[in-house]
Amino acid sequence: MSTPRDGDRSRARARPRQGLPRGAPLLAVAALALAGTAGAARAQDTIPPGGVRVGITYTPGTRPALAVVGAASAAADSVRAILQQDLDFSDQFEVLTPSGAPATAAAPPDYRIYRALGADLAVTVVAGLSGAVSVDLHDVRRGALLRHATVEGTGEQRRWAVHRAADDIVREVTGRPGSAATRLLFVKDGGIWRVDADGHGLTQIPVAGGPALSPAWSPDGRTMAYTAFVRSGQPVVIQDLATGERDIVPTTEDGLNITPEFSRDGTRLAFARATEDGTDVYVYDVARHCCVTRLTVGRFSDNLSPTWSPDGSRLAFISTRAGTPQLYWMDADGGNPDVAARFDFGATGPTNGPAWSPDGLSIAFHRDVAGTPQLFVLDVGTRVIRQLTGSGRNEDPTWAPDGRHVCFVSTRSGARQLWVLDVTTGRVRQLVSFGGARLPAWSPRLPSP
Amino acid sequence: MNYRDIGPWARGIVPLLVVAMAACGPKPAPVTPRAAADSAAAAARRDSLAAAARRDSLAAQARRDSLAAAARADSLARAAREAARADSLRAEVRRNELEAARIGAWGLNRADSTQLATMIHFAFDRSDLDATATGILDQKLRLLQQNAALRIQIAGHCDERGSDEYNLALGERRAAAAKRYLVEHGVAKGRISIISYGEERPLDRDHTEEAWAANRRAEFVVVTDTKR
Repeated sequence: MSTPRDGDRSRARARPRQGLPRGAPLLAVAALALAGTAGAARAQDTIPPGGVRVGITYTPGTRPALAVVGAASAAADSVRAILQQDLDFSDQFEVLTPSGAPATAAAPPDYRIYRALGADLAVTVVAGLSGAVSVDLHDVRRGALLRHATVEGTGEQRRWAVHRAADDIVREVTGRPGSAATRLLFVKDGGIWRVDADGHGLTQIPVAGGPALSPAWSPDGRTMAYTAFVRSGQPVVIQDLATGERDIVPTTEDGLNITPEFSRDGTRLAFARATEDGTDVYVYDVARHCCVTRLTVGRFSDNLSPTWSPDGSRLAFISTRAGTPQLYWMDADGGNPDVAARFDFGATGPTNGPAWSPDGLSIAFHRDVAGTPQLFVLDVGTRVIRQLTGSGRNEDPTWAPDGRHVCFVSTRSGARQLWVLDVTTGRVRQLVSFGGARLPAWSPRLPSP
Repeated sequence: MNYRDIGPWARGIVPLLVVAMAACGPKPAPVTPRAAADSAAAAARRDSLAAAARRDSLAAQARRDSLAAAARADSLARAAREAARADSLRAEVRRNELEAARIGAWGLNRADSTQLATMIHFAFDRSDLDATATGILDQKLRLLQQNAALRIQIAGHCDERGSDEYNLALGERRAAAAKRYLVEHGVAKGRISIISYGEERPLDRDHTEEAWAANRRAEFVVVTDTKR
């Protein structure tokens, strides 16, 4: 071991470094990757599938990156915050939130900045004169404006305009609108409450009598049906959400009448009536205010929780005719009842809470696994059953109008709360922060709050 | 006197004496590098052994502490369950007593009123009557037969498990089972009405087996007229 002499050190410094700099391999891989994805995007742009959509298309399994940028003003920023959350909750985009790159009002955006961020799309939120805020969707790769929208109004109307703008952006990119402009009804402490799909705007809705259960939206979003507990019995009440006006469904004035569900065209209401001889599914003609018809037959079994197929031709429901509650379906006139979700008698746990998806392709339900209810989804075509949840108790699913989000009750955080699951990506978010929420029902798209 | 004055023998012996004394003195420890490393290693081993021993004894203490804490928690939980069970039993007795007092107005004595108000219980997800339930219903049967003016309402309830909506139907089945028993033994159908509250009106809001067992019940209330 000899100490280097001064002369040695200076010789070492003078010799130039041979070979690649240290980070070179990493940069090369990154460059290749970027070139690869850039090449793929070009391929998508030049070979559009099916000729249906304008703008960026993306292959399933990848999501376009979308940057949301707001100009530096309070009005624009509040809109941007709501919009960004709505687009994030749609689970259709990788939402980028670049800081320090505010959009300016007049000049067209500098697309190079967005490309450098890796965005495929950009949404700029800029406040104009008189309080209106423009929400513009840009295709970053082509460097073009795709869609312009204006958000106006104040308070709830303004918030709803932002939700509609978010839904329109989702439709522009994917072909199907989002579910931001929707609400949920649910039961808490025996009362019925309403909340926006982003968790905002929690409101209690006055109902008839004592505890109220099983709220259901009409397809136009204007009325709800529910089971009321009144002195004479438990009727199904149809209540106007704006005026509070109430109608009792004929023949339900006494007795126990539960689990009401409107058909998708709003002309019929299915429900179940429980008597000493068992529980059966009935249908009420809402349009003509008459003609309550019994659909299920047989004594001493329970048939309840009907849910309509979107075209109104079939009903899925729960029946205990085999001993434990399981999922069945039948024609809308009660004909051809059959098992929908297969089960092994004695082995499969009880099944309840079915909900037919808006596109008609799936039925979500909950079924006990080792004594604890978990969410499942049945593929109507292939009859394959898929389990969606694993931790805590998970029950009572309801579909969003976009056909991919499901709201359900879960105890995974300790208390019974409402959660939202994206069936495609598996992402789960909590909707409300208080406990004790049950029996949620997701509204159709609401044009106004 | 100096060195030169000592004789030649003495001059030879003195160095010998010096060397001898040096040789017989205490030897200093060998200062080779390898030996130094060995002793440092030994010291480090001793330190780490001591530290390991300390850690072991701390871990053992922690295990003992946690076992003690678990045992304490267990006994606390047991005590809480006992208390909860006593609470729900008390609630049931209170409810029976209130009902008995109310129907005392129909001319029944206290014992009869209590018998009429006594609840029956069910197994999980079942609506069939066990021997205890039929025994209780037999007592009510006797009273209903003796007092022809009496009309009752039977309310079916469930525990909080299971689907909320399905439990409404299950509660109805339980009340219907009790009514069917009474009707099959001679009570006129029109004197008994049934209703179900599902899991909406628990007797005991706790989340234990005892609370659930208390909630799976049918209650009996005397009414002035029947609807169904």
